[in-house]
Amino acid sequence: MDGVPTGSVIRSGVIGGLVAIYIALVGLYTKFADLALVGEQVTLGRVLIVAPALITAYAVTRPRVVAGERRAATLRQGLAIGALAGLITGAVFGAAVAFAEWFGVERIREVFVAVTEPLIDFLTFGMGVPAGLLVLAGWCVVGGLVGGFARTAPLALRRPASVGIVAVILFGLLQRIVPIVFVELGYEADWLYSPITKGLTWLGGLFVFALAAGADILWRRSGDGTRDRIRTGVYERPAARIGFLVVLLAVLAVLPLLLGTVISEVLGQVMIYVLLGLGLNIVVGYAGLLDLGYVAFFAFGAYATGLLTGAMLNTTTGAAEPAISADLNFYAAVWIVMLLAAGVGLLIGAPVLRLRGDYLAIVTLGLGEIVSVITASKWAQPLIGGPQGMRGVSKAEIFGLNPQDHPQDFYYLALAFVLFALFVSWRLAASRVGRAWTAMREDEQVADAMGVSTIKYKLLAFAMGGAIGSLGGALFAVSLGSLTPASFEFLVSITALAVVILGGLGSLPGVVVGALVLIGLPGLLREFEEYRQLIYGGALVAIMILRPQGLIPNVRRSRELKEEEVTQDAWARDGTGEIEAVAAVLPGGALGVEEEDLE
Amino acid sequence: MATRTDGPARGAQLGRFERVPWRRVILLLLAILIAAVAVIGAYKTLTLPADERYTASTWKDFIVLGIAQGAIIALIALGYTLVYGILRMINFAHGEVFMFGAFAAYFFSSAWEESGFLDSNPWLSMAILFAIAMLVSMTVAILLERIAYRPLRNAPRLVPLITAIGASLVLQNTARGFFGAQSRGFGVPAALEGTWTIFGLELDRIQVLVIITVVLAVAGLSLFVARTKTGKSMRAVAADTEIASLMGIRVDRVIVTTFAIGGLLAGIAAILFSITFESVNFTMGVRPGIAAFTAAVLGGIGSISGAALGGVLLGLLQSLGPALILTGYEIPSAFQLKDAFTFLVLVLVLIFRPGGLLGSDEAEKV
Amino acid sequence: MSDTAHLLELEGVQKHFGGLYALSGLDLHVDQGEIVSVIGPNGAGKSTMFNVVTGLYPPDEGDVRFRGDSIVGLAPNRITRLGISRTFQTVHLFANMTVLENAMVGQHCRSRSGVFGSILRLPGTRREEREIRERAQRSLEFFGSRLAGYRQDQPAFVLSYANRRRLEMARALATDPLLVCLDEPTAGMNPRETLELRDHIVRMRDELDLTVLVIEHDMRVVKGVSDRVIALDYGRKIAEGTYEDVANDPQVIEAYLGTKAVG
Repeated sequence: MDGVPTGSVIRSGVIGGLVAIYIALVGLYTKFADLALVGEQVTLGRVLIVAPALITAYAVTRPRVVAGERRAATLRQGLAIGALAGLITGAVFGAAVAFAEWFGVERIREVFVAVTEPLIDFLTFGMGVPAGLLVLAGWCVVGGLVGGFARTAPLALRRPASVGIVAVILFGLLQRIVPIVFVELGYEADWLYSPITKGLTWLGGLFVFALAAGADILWRRSGDGTRDRIRTGVYERPAARIGFLVVLLAVLAVLPLLLGTVISEVLGQVMIYVLLGLGLNIVVGYAGLLDLGYVAFFAFGAYATGLLTGAMLNTTTGAAEPAISADLNFYAAVWIVMLLAAGVGLLIGAPVLRLRGDYLAIVTLGLGEIVSVITASKWAQPLIGGPQGMRGVSKAEIFGLNPQDHPQDFYYLALAFVLFALFVSWRLAASRVGRAWTAMREDEQVADAMGVSTIKYKLLAFAMGGAIGSLGGALFAVSLGSLTPASFEFLVSITALAVVILGGLGSLPGVVVGALVLIGLPGLLREFEEYRQLIYGGALVAIMILRPQGLIPNVRRSRELKEEEVTQDAWARDGTGEIEAVAAVLPGGALGVEEEDLE
Repeated sequence: MATRTDGPARGAQLGRFERVPWRRVILLLLAILIAAVAVIGAYKTLTLPADERYTASTWKDFIVLGIAQGAIIALIALGYTLVYGILRMINFAHGEVFMFGAFAAYFFSSAWEESGFLDSNPWLSMAILFAIAMLVSMTVAILLERIAYRPLRNAPRLVPLITAIGASLVLQNTARGFFGAQSRGFGVPAALEGTWTIFGLELDRIQVLVIITVVLAVAGLSLFVARTKTGKSMRAVAADTEIASLMGIRVDRVIVTTFAIGGLLAGIAAILFSITFESVNFTMGVRPGIAAFTAAVLGGIGSISGAALGGVLLGLLQSLGPALILTGYEIPSAFQLKDAFTFLVLVLVLIFRPGGLLGSDEAEKV
Repeated sequence: MSDTAHLLELEGVQKHFGGLYALSGLDLHVDQGEIVSVIGPNGAGKSTMFNVVTGLYPPDEGDVRFRGDSIVGLAPNRITRLGISRTFQTVHLFANMTVLENAMVGQHCRSRSGVFGSILRLPGTRREEREIRERAQRSLEFFGSRLAGYRQDQPAFVLSYANRRRLEMARALATDPLLVCLDEPTAGMNPRETLELRDHIVRMRDELDLTVLVIEHDMRVVKGVSDRVIALDYGRKIAEGTYEDVANDPQVIEAYLGTKAVG
């Protein structure tokens, strides 16, 4: 075949097979074998069978640069390459399954705990080794075909199709949230989600697919003009913007009523991490200081709230009064907590000011771990309960709401805090302070030489970040009513970091989306719980390699991307003969990924 | 053109306190405070009533234990130091490289324990275990470099660090998914249990084995880096990657070699750690990893002898520190705070002497 | 302020990196309203001198006085606030900030609003923000239309090389300095741009009432702008005076050509 890099297809197919084997060994198939997405047959586990082949095919059919020329594969080539890649993936995967069967599942299981008879059964579609393997390979070929199609079919076809498929999977995953909304709104949901499998019905799946694909087609059809008008309308016209905000607030206000307690609780957890993300965003996103010990502020906020609102120490014999405590109203205490946390930020920040980026990261990690270790030690027993922790944190009752006992009430409290933090972050970003941070992040020494006191602004970032992070801690304390050191470990720092990075450093909507994806999705699907850390880690690696600017990049940066084109046009008209060098590659390198061959 | 603006503060005058070097004053006060706490604590511990005091033989145990554990830390620290020296990157996932080596060896040792091979051929089986752990750790290190780090070779410094943290989580949870979440007991050949008496000192056999192995490994590495062609290329790349590549050194290959060597050493450390603590689990790489990084920084990151020295010093600090300083303040369960001690040392070293004991502070030029 | 005649004065300044002496006992002064050029072969210590004056490197020995007060040991941002501003030999802009924002950063040390003002957008903060913007715009307009207009809202990284250099100077001017230190401002510019820049340097003195200390390799620029020329070699002053004096100084010729001058 002309221009088909056979070697690279074979290599990619083998890698796809290895990925599938990895998914099997790490236990994802076993876990998700029965999580129905559509009907009885389409489970998340089965989607994961097809996924490696699909992604491999999608990757291997990307346009290549051959002798300085960009070559995109045709649809026929795309399907052929996709099928071949899928076949190889399936062959490697199938060979592994056959090997497992031959070698003895029980013997493998002594090392790899996920390898069980049910797993082999699942992977061979219940048909046993020789026959089932053909089916397995067949599905991998289908995955490869879909992947090739998604890359090489005409845009008008592949886009709506891809959007539709993604929407179906997403709605399938949201099976605990969407039906409830329907029922709360007074509609029947049984035609959409099956009460037996819990996933979408076939009719529901088709409906969601048609809806999403149709919406995409309409959006495309409406033409660039309309789209731009909608976009700029929302971004730039003040009236439209205010209207948008009012609608958004109204939706946010009625949301818990629609969603019921379980999902409101998940949203409450999401918002705690939105607060942590917003605080960390000031430190990492605005000021460019990588803080790996952010859990310190979370813990401080939680324990300080406990101490100030009259919580008691857990002891083996009952409860005891902490060494220092006060019995304030939560809404008075929270201001003091923020102020103190800002002070802690200064204390943590002061000694580390002169350190280079990576050393600073490690020192903050060390400080965070010191906090974790001390929190859990017996030494801390008289003050904050040590290993036993505390209980009896204020219920934060206000206006007849009881946030501790009613998740819906907690939602409103958390929402108020989040809006406050969003407002503060937004105003700070667009101010003299924010400008100083940006300058410092871009080039610390030059900012200093231009009159920005880097010491002052680093400390300020730590103080502001600490204050907002402590709000998250305060909320957390209220939500549980009791505190144990297990909640304050390194993983909190990493999760907050992942939230900020997934959404996009410096981007406020990004923080919200990051928290929804990383906290909300696993919260909605208990099955994910065990794989939460794997997902966080994978997200960090993938984002850094594929899309360092995050899912929803900072508005300014995405504007910069657009303006690059505008500039070039402007120069063409300008006619001064100077050539503007569009030299600097954006820190994202957003466009670079597709083009380069992973050689 | 009226461009000139006489800003409110054009040519401001110096304020009253602007000349005070606040940072240095604060650091000095901090240093004095910490030194005072340490000295007073040690004094109080040593002057405790005789029945509460540690005996001389306990102190000896602490010291030997500290050296042995420090030696293991030193081996892991070498992995950090080699990679940092070459890529200026903190390979946060190195602790997991170590963990995989330990797991690999565990499966063989537990099988041999059942079959009796471990006790009938203790030295042969230990040798094979070392080889397996080294091989697996090396493979993981190479894969890590290839998949997670190589695409980011020229990215800003914090990007690979964040990736490394992510990779560390992925590897940990991969192990959890592969091998399960529970801890598993690591079998030790009977020949290694008990003590030997050397120069009149009664020493744990395992501790002796640990110390000898580490001394050999560090000596071997030093010779390798100093004498062989590959070692020389490593030093060249560490000094200046770009010039080294212009001189015809294949930088990618040198980097892979560096990761591979780091993995080999982590594999050795994994066995030593496993026979010392007789247990493996998926989070076992975290704390030793951070301790090792601390050791590398303490000794001066990028320096081989620094990592070795830093490891042993840190081991001693961990085993002696809580006992010597914290007992004096009558802090309950002082050894719970052992890790806080590690981190405190790390923080203090980076604040007061970021170049480490044997390193130099690198000044960045505008 | 004391009554000394010199705006900036270096006395016996030494700076070494390892065994290499970048500055070895440098004495030098700049008076109010002068344009002083510093010339010398590569490695003569010119940029190091700038770094010492602006506080990036502390001198090992000697004193740097600005308006009569020693500024040794002050942080760079303090020195900028006192009225010394600079550009860099290799352009250092805030690449992802817009042209105007780059200049606005320059106004940072002349404004004061802090966290609470920014969050609440108090009237004083808004007024100050407006003033910062206006002053920054004026410093951009110093270079005519090159940086003004639509271009001020573009990120700095799309600018041409010459415009980047101009923006760096505009940013330095935006700090409302008394003394600007320009490190090879015409490096990499074409002849026409170089001529234009020569006029700008003169205008900085004449219109903005600034004192200018400039490191320059292009002798036409040096000749065209300088009230006084100082030649450095091996971190020491080897000649000083008018352009003609320095250009004909045997030591300077030797430093550049590496041979003993005849005569």
